[in-house]
Formats: sequence, C-alpha cells, structure tokens
Amino acid sequence: MKRQVFLIAGKELKGMARQNALKILFAIIIILLGFALYAGHIAYKQQKVMVETAQKERRAEWLDQGNKHPHIAAHYGTYVFKPKTLLSLFDFGLDTYTGTSVYLEAHYPHEFMFRPVQGYGNMIRFGELSAALVLQLLLPLLIIFITFQTFTKEKETGTLKLLVSQGVSIRSIYLGKVLAYSLIVFSIMVPFFTGLYIVGVIEKTSAVINDMGLRILLLFCVYVGYLWAFTNFSVWISLKSSSARNALLTLLIFWIATGIIIPKTSANLGETLQPLPSMKTYKEGIQHDIENGMNTNETKEKRMARLKEDYLQQYGVDSLNQLPLNFGGIQMQEGEEYANKVHDFHDAALYKKFERQNKAGSLMGFVAPYIAVRNLSMAFAATDWYSFNDFQEKTNTYRRHLIRTMNNDMAKNSRYGEFYEYKAGRNLWETISDFKYLTPKVTMIFKYYWMELASLSFWVLIMFILIPSSSKNKLI
Amino acid sequence: MKLILLLWQREGISIIRNTFQMVMLATIFLLGMYAIYYGHSKIMEQHKTIKNVEHIEKNKFEHYKNSFNSDHTSVKEKQLFDIASNPAYAWYRHEYHAILPPHGLSHMSLGQRDIEPYYYKLTGTSLYYQLFQSELANPLKLYVGNFDISFVLIYLFPLLIIAFTYGLYAEEKENGMLPLLRLQTIGLRKILLIRIAFYYALIVGLGILLSSIGFFVSSEGDILAVSLWILAVLCYLSFWFALMFFLISLKKNSSLTAISAASLWLLFLIVLPAVLNVYANIVYPIDNTSLADVTRRRSLENEEDLEEAKAVILEYLQSRNDLKEADSLLHINTMAKAYAAFTALNDDHHRKEVSDYFTQIRLRQKKISLFRWANPAVNTQGVLNEIVESDSEIFQSFYQSIESFHKDITHFYVDKLFLNKEITSKDYETLPKFNLKIDSQDRHRKIKNGLIEVIVTTFLLFGLSWLLFNKTTF
Repeated sequence: MKRQVFLIAGKELKGMARQNALKILFAIIIILLGFALYAGHIAYKQQKVMVETAQKERRAEWLDQGNKHPHIAAHYGTYVFKPKTLLSLFDFGLDTYTGTSVYLEAHYPHEFMFRPVQGYGNMIRFGELSAALVLQLLLPLLIIFITFQTFTKEKETGTLKLLVSQGVSIRSIYLGKVLAYSLIVFSIMVPFFTGLYIVGVIEKTSAVINDMGLRILLLFCVYVGYLWAFTNFSVWISLKSSSARNALLTLLIFWIATGIIIPKTSANLGETLQPLPSMKTYKEGIQHDIENGMNTNETKEKRMARLKEDYLQQYGVDSLNQLPLNFGGIQMQEGEEYANKVHDFHDAALYKKFERQNKAGSLMGFVAPYIAVRNLSMAFAATDWYSFNDFQEKTNTYRRHLIRTMNNDMAKNSRYGEFYEYKAGRNLWETISDFKYLTPKVTMIFKYYWMELASLSFWVLIMFILIPSSSKNKLI
Repeated sequence: MKLILLLWQREGISIIRNTFQMVMLATIFLLGMYAIYYGHSKIMEQHKTIKNVEHIEKNKFEHYKNSFNSDHTSVKEKQLFDIASNPAYAWYRHEYHAILPPHGLSHMSLGQRDIEPYYYKLTGTSLYYQLFQSELANPLKLYVGNFDISFVLIYLFPLLIIAFTYGLYAEEKENGMLPLLRLQTIGLRKILLIRIAFYYALIVGLGILLSSIGFFVSSEGDILAVSLWILAVLCYLSFWFALMFFLISLKKNSSLTAISAASLWLLFLIVLPAVLNVYANIVYPIDNTSLADVTRRRSLENEEDLEEAKAVILEYLQSRNDLKEADSLLHINTMAKAYAAFTALNDDHHRKEVSDYFTQIRLRQKKISLFRWANPAVNTQGVLNEIVESDSEIFQSFYQSIESFHKDITHFYVDKLFLNKEITSKDYETLPKFNLKIDSQDRHRKIKNGLIEVIVTTFLLFGLSWLLFNKTTF
C-alpha cells in the first residue's frame, strides 16, 4: 500500500508541475512571504533603534536630573518603551494596537500611549501583511486552488474507477494525494522556518526573547498541524463533492466563513456580551475607591489618622515631629500602597472582561481553526495580549519600586514639615536600575491557550478520522 | 421588455429553487442586521459616555457658579468659592471637555471611532500632558475590527455578487445550453447583460434595503449623507458587477472564473491594502518615542527660588504683549503665576515636536491615499468613513481644534491670574467653548473624487468587457 501511496503522490506532483497557473500562484505566495518577512525585519530594526535610543535618552535624563526632593523626582519620573520582539517580524500580532510607551510617575499609573494604529489612515482596518497572515489565510487559499478538483476530476474523467478496478484502494489514493499536497506545503514551510531560525540566531542582540528556538519550533508545529488539517479537509471535500464547482464553492465558503466572518463576528459578539467601561468611568471608579476606601471605615482621612496613630504608638512619642523619620514620606508611601491595591483590584476586573471577550473567539476555534492558529501564533511570537499584559505588569512593578524608593528616602533622610530643604542626588537616582525586559518563557503561556491547543488538536484528530478506511471503495 | 421579464422570471425561479443561494441571501441579510445592531450599540455607548462627561462638566460649573451666592461659612464652601473665583486655583482645577460627537450615521461605518479618543478632559495645565490619552479598548478587538454595515457591504456583498454571477455564461456552456441560446435571435451578450441586471437589481436592492434600515435606526436625518452613502454603495457594487462581467467575458470555465473572482476579491480586500500598510510602515516610519517626553509633568527647577520664578514669568510675558500691565504685578501670587508661565513656555517649547509628529502622520496618510484610486474597496471604505465622519482626517481636525480650545482656556484663566483679577459670576457666561473646525469643502472634494474614481474604473471595466465579450471564444 505504501508503494501505491508514493506512486500516487508522485503522479500528483508531476501533474501539478505541468500547470502554469499553479506555478504562478505558488510563486506569488513565495514572493508575498518573502516580502512580508523582509518588511517585518525592516520594521523590527527601525523600531528597535528608536526604542533603544529613546530608552537611553530617558535613562540619562533620570540620572542627570540634578539634585531635588525625591518626591519631585518621583513626579519627574521616567518612561518605558515597549521593545519589539524579534518574532514580531513574523507575526505583528497586536503590536500595532497596543501602546508603545508609558510615563511612570508618582500617584498616577498612566495608561500606555501611542498606539501605532493611530498613525495609519483608514486603510489599517484592512490589516497588515505579515508572514503569519500569508500562512494563516493565503496559503490555505492556495491549498484550495490546488486540491478542489483532485478527486472530482478523477471522477469526471473516469480514472478513479479505473484505479479502483486495478486494486488501488480509495485510502491509498487519498493518502497519496494528501502526501503530495503536504509536500508542496512543506516545501514552503521548511525553508521559511529554517530562514526564520537563522535570522533568530543571527540577531543575537534581541535579548527580549530568550527561548527563541523553542518558540520557532512551536510555531512550526502549529502551522504544520493547521496546514496539514486544511490540506486534508480540502482533499476530503473534493472526494465528497459531485463536481469541481461544488467542491470549489464549498471550500471557498469555508475559507471565508472561518477566516473572515466568524473571527470578526465572534470578537464583536464577545464585546457586546462583555462591554467595557469608558476610560472616564473606569478612572472615576478608581479615584472613588482611593478617596472613600474599598471597605467601610477605609476613607482616606481615616486611613491616614490610623497610620498616624500607629506610628506614634510604635515609637512611643506624642507628635509627628518627634518621630525618627519623616512621616510625610510614610504617608506618601501608604497612599501609594493603597492606590496600588485599588488599581490592582480594578485592573483585575477589567482584564477579566478582556479575557471573557477573547474567550468567545477562542471557543470558536473549534469551528474556525484559523482563530486557534492566529492566537497561538501571536502567543508564540510574543505579540499577543498576555505578552503585552506581562510587559505592562513588569513596568508597573518597576514604577512601584521607583516610587517606593523615593518615598522611603524621603522618610529616612528628611524631617517632618520640611520639603525644599532636603535634596537627593545622583546617588539615589542610581539605585533605580535601568528597566530591562524579558518575555516570559513560552511554557508559561500555555495555560492561557489550552482552548486554542484543544481546538487545533480537535481539527487534526477529525482529519485523521476522515481519512477513508481501506475497506471503503463504494464512494465512487 | 417581454424578453427581460421572461429572463428575470427564469432567474427568479432558479434562485427560489436553489436552496444554497437562498441560504446565502438570508445569511447576508441577517449578518447585515447584526452589523447594524452592533454599530448602533457601539455608538449608543459613545453617546452615553458623552452625556456623562457633559453632565459632570455642567454640574461642576453649576456648583462653582452657585458658590458666589453662598455665605462661605464652612471650609468646604470656602474651598469651592476659592476654586470658582481665584484663577490661581481655577486654571488647573476647572475641567472642560472637548468632544467629537458621532455623526448621525456613524453606526454604519465606525471607522476610526474605536481607535481614536472622541473626548478629552482639559484644564489649563500642559496640553501635551493631557493630549495623548487612549480610550479603553481590547487590543484583540481592535485588531479584528468592527462588524458594521460598511464591512458587510465592502467585504461580503462582492462575495454575493461572485457567487451569483460567476457561472452565468460558463455554466450554460457546461450544461450544454449554449448551442440552444445561440439559435435565438438575440445576441448572447444581451442575454447575459439582462441576467446580470437581474442580480444587480437583487443585490443592490438588498444593499439599499440594509442601508435604509441603518438610516432608519439613526435619530438624525442628514439627507446629503444619506444620498452620498447610497451613491457610494451603488458605485462600489457596480464596480464588482463590472468586474464580474469582465471575467465572464473571458469565457473561461466556471471553476476558473470562480477562482479568478475569488483571487481578485483577495487582492482588493486583503493583499493590496495589507501590502500598502506594510510599505507605509517601512517607508514612512513614525517615531513617537521622542514625543513621549513632551507628556512629562514638569515644574520649575527650584520651586522655592522666588527670583527664578520671577524670571520665568517675565520670559512668558515677553511673548504676551496683551499682558503688559502684568509686569508690575509680579510680587502677588508669584508662584502660581510662575507655574502657569512655566507650563505655557514648556508647551511652546514642545510645540514643534508635536507638530512634526502630526506632520509625519499626515504625510504617511497622504502618500498612502495616492494609491486609493487603484483599489475601489479601500476607496469606498474611505468614502463611507468620510460621509459619516469617522475617518482619520476628522480626528486630526479634532486634535487641531483641541489645541486652539486649550489656548482659549489658558488665556481665560491665565490672563486674569497675571492681571490679579478675580473670576466673577458674570465670567461664567463667557466660558471658553469648544468648536470643531472642519474644512467641509475639502472633505466634500475628497468624497467626490473618491466616487468619481470608482465610477471611472467601473465604466472602463464595463466598456472593456463589452468589447471583449464578442471577441473571445469559449
């Protein structure tokens, strides 16, 4: 049977090699893939230079800000810029839609600013060409074009009956065809991912991702699974269709429904079911809880009165002036800690909403494998929402450390009631190390994408089940 | 006429008998209804938010006004009166809102309304500290885009056109009907065009029906916008019919015609715009990293140094000839004046950087728009966004208007602060107001040009197909 499978695969490949239209389509896919990778690489380089330069400048500004009160320095603050990950040259993911820089200052945890999408015109809503887009949407279309008449043509010309009458099983023919088309897909995928790996190795300066090899391997596996399932499905549709026209229409409808309509409707539905508050309402909620407390008896005034009492008692003194440290700094830090608690609470609720919105899409991965592969691809390229969120959390931790250091210095080194009299200098600024970011290990993000992994596995499994059994030749 | 009716009747019967086509029509109609609902709910949310911010602003100013009539016995009343009447507090405490309200038909094409902020809270403090805010949004949702009626018309209607027309000629041949048709006295081209006209009426009718439901949902009736929308839909769908006529005229088999049509759909709606976006990104990169610094909260180098404060005020007054008398009033409220002056100077210092950033964006958008004519899908989407004022240009006008609004706010308070004048209850009648400055003529010109480009492409295609049909053989 193996021999038959290889013979049929060979025959299919020869047949395709004779079709000029397919050669042109194949060439278009290769050119688009190459262009996407080239453009992604240039964009990555440009962004990398911009971010590194800006980060260096802001660091120098922080260190050279001169002598001043630590609280003024905390307001002067600093900036963190989101570095591009090397794999963003393969899949831009959400990079265009998330902010690129954030201002870190006392009291106000600012939102990320400058979403790159704001710099484009109306056309950005049509999407950007990335290598991932080519593999997720365009290559499947090429698969449709080369496979839709693979069985229908054999039926129409009568060669299928001839083959079966000679003892070749439908299973062998089916597997031979799938093997041939898979080889074509592989002939694009293997050199492409090898090239990506080489770029990943050459670009050693990309310190943002430290498990590049594993990520590229996972990307390769995901795309192999997806494209193999798509190839199998297309061949199966051709086997089941009465005419080439029917097969083509069914496959095109499937492609449009699962690649365009379902991803959009499910994301929109998710948003309808879990609407987000406006920024104004959101910020007001936070401000309200900071002022009035998250629980009864936790108003700002009461919290501060309690803090004062605790300190006086702890040090056994009657007035704040007698404390061995500046109560102003303690008060400041206490305010920050409480505000952090409030922010964490509201942020968690907001992120839960984001997750629920996205889950509606993830669930649809069982119907539309494109959604599963799109989300997994972003995740492995570290351009997904969880990677952005991780970056956001790390900048938050950095900001909190910076403010805490300033407040503690104020408490330790200045006197209560004094402000302009005390000035800190470069020695203090240097204790805040420069912000360095590393993406989390890819193994850490699997837990967020179990539904996508399950849906992609489901599709691969279904395709194995759909392979005709050796005893069934009645299809003809 | 009799022939037209006969052929149309035949097409009608064939559609009713074809479950697949009926399901397709019903699906598109239902998706269109959902799109209208979705767009409407998004815009309703924005209206709610706008109402809320307007209410907050109105309430706060009412409180300030009322504080002039209270006896200021309690600390709270005294504080409120100070904020209401003393420009040293009021200039950074009085909160205004600049709002870009949705057009009556924006629910039909949400455009950039979910990406760009449509309202800003502004005080007299640094403009750039307040300008670069974002609205809360799920990045994945932004990436996927909006399922509004313009999406249904731009993306899905062409598929409907392809599905109904790709086999109009080839299937007759494949079914063996062509020799019979050739025996008729009427030309094949005429028969084909009558059949295409049936589907044109059906699909364009469905497009206009869905659009009309969208208009009906709107609370405002803008006749010009409604007419332009219908015209844009007509032009765009006509383009796709002309394109299908062209493909049919090549007289290839039905599978090849379908493949070619699907490939062209892919080219216009995914590949070309996606390639252009990437091209724009690498050829006209936008560096916003240098701009981050302008959003920093800054204050005087030595806040306790009175001499430095005075020097800052004098530097500011050099650029304000209208505040000449303020020179002699430096010793009163010096620190408040210095802070206000420092903020204004700081904004002036960064004005060029910000302006360069917006120039970069405008240049990139201008360069991309040069390719708009080559892609009727992108062109029509742009036109629809422009009609309902959800395009990126209107947001740029919004930013520019905010700049002049902020200037009005600053002058209103800072002038009083520097001239040692109190804010009176009468001043509340002349508070700064936000005005959106739009170049309507330029906008109409863009819409007109966009539509002409699509019409010209459509006629060219139609003419070419007309000639080609009788020259090609199956």
